[in-house]
Amino acid sequence: MRTAIVTGAARGIGKEIAVRMARDFDHLVVVDLSPTLADTALELERLATVTPVQADLTTEEGIAAVTSSVDSVAALVNNAGITRDARLVNMEEEDFRAVLDVNLGAPFRLAYGLAGKWARPAAIVNIASRAYLGNFGQFNYSMSKGGVVGLSRALAIGLAPQVRANAVAPGLTATEMVETIPSDVLSRMIEAIPLGRMGEPSEIADVVAWLCSPESSYVTGQVIVVGGGRSLT
Amino acid sequence: MRSHLLLPVDLRDAFVQSGFEEAPPGHPTVAACPTGQPDWSSTLDGLTAVYRVAKDAAIAGSSVVFIVSADAVLGRSGPLDAMAATGVVSASRTLAAEMRKQGVPVNCLAAAADTPGTTLAVWAKRLLEGGPTDPTGELIQLGGVQIGKALS
Repeated sequence: MRTAIVTGAARGIGKEIAVRMARDFDHLVVVDLSPTLADTALELERLATVTPVQADLTTEEGIAAVTSSVDSVAALVNNAGITRDARLVNMEEEDFRAVLDVNLGAPFRLAYGLAGKWARPAAIVNIASRAYLGNFGQFNYSMSKGGVVGLSRALAIGLAPQVRANAVAPGLTATEMVETIPSDVLSRMIEAIPLGRMGEPSEIADVVAWLCSPESSYVTGQVIVVGGGRSLT
Repeated sequence: MRSHLLLPVDLRDAFVQSGFEEAPPGHPTVAACPTGQPDWSSTLDGLTAVYRVAKDAAIAGSSVVFIVSADAVLGRSGPLDAMAATGVVSASRTLAAEMRKQGVPVNCLAAAADTPGTTLAVWAKRLLEGGPTDPTGELIQLGGVQIGKALS
């Protein structure tokens, strides 16, 4: 049985990744802090065997809850993340540390917490963000996502040849998070995207699934920006 | 040059030899990325120290140079060093974006293992003294470790 773990799977991009991964894997371990994870797990059960794990990945107990739920892992998708945006001059230390701990510390601890459980072959995909290239008002978030890129490179070197590790950096994507952006601001953001629209969560999920598949068997240590070309403008 | 220095002892010595004087927060700032930390908790504490001096510089409108390891940027010196280094590179770009309208440069130097501290000091001084038309948001690699390797 091939098992995939997807964190932050209760909604948005993570949920879509879990749905897409269900096509390629027999068993999905879906992880989230939110109790709505149970609803997502119910939806996924018609596609694959599902183990929901409601856990706080910033704690040792949370990491242990995930690692103890599997014997062998063929794919790990570190997607869980938070934002607490502010210009650096106004950013509180608590918000800086919280974003780093969830977005960067948890992927590190989970990847290494699974030592000895990797299938042959296996793949890790860490969800970064286009913000890793720098983004106004996101000193904490861009640092965390840049760190995820470095983590992916180190994992690619350290766990080769058994495990491949890559990062996917989504740009503006149509999720619930976007609904909080004022419409005039959102319009300007979309105008700056060469493809002229937001990405769909399924378009992120397809790239993640490819990186977890044998079709990308010679790709490791890379970051793929999935942002409609916004990183060029 | 009077600067706020967040540097390990050996680098601090090299900077002092190159004419840098320690100054309180609010002056042009040189901040080294944490390296060699034993666990995530210590790495987070090191990155928090970088956040604090960067915030002080941002409030004062002072230029900033971050220093990272070129090997760490490439993921070649372990996960914690890599996470810290690439995180600081990304944060430097974000701070550069936030200070661009003020014409204040924010850059990042990636040093090879054999880059002399005095060479770093020369480059840091050059970047700290930059104006509105000088480089900002750049990762400047010293020593050529990056040639033929993954960039950004």
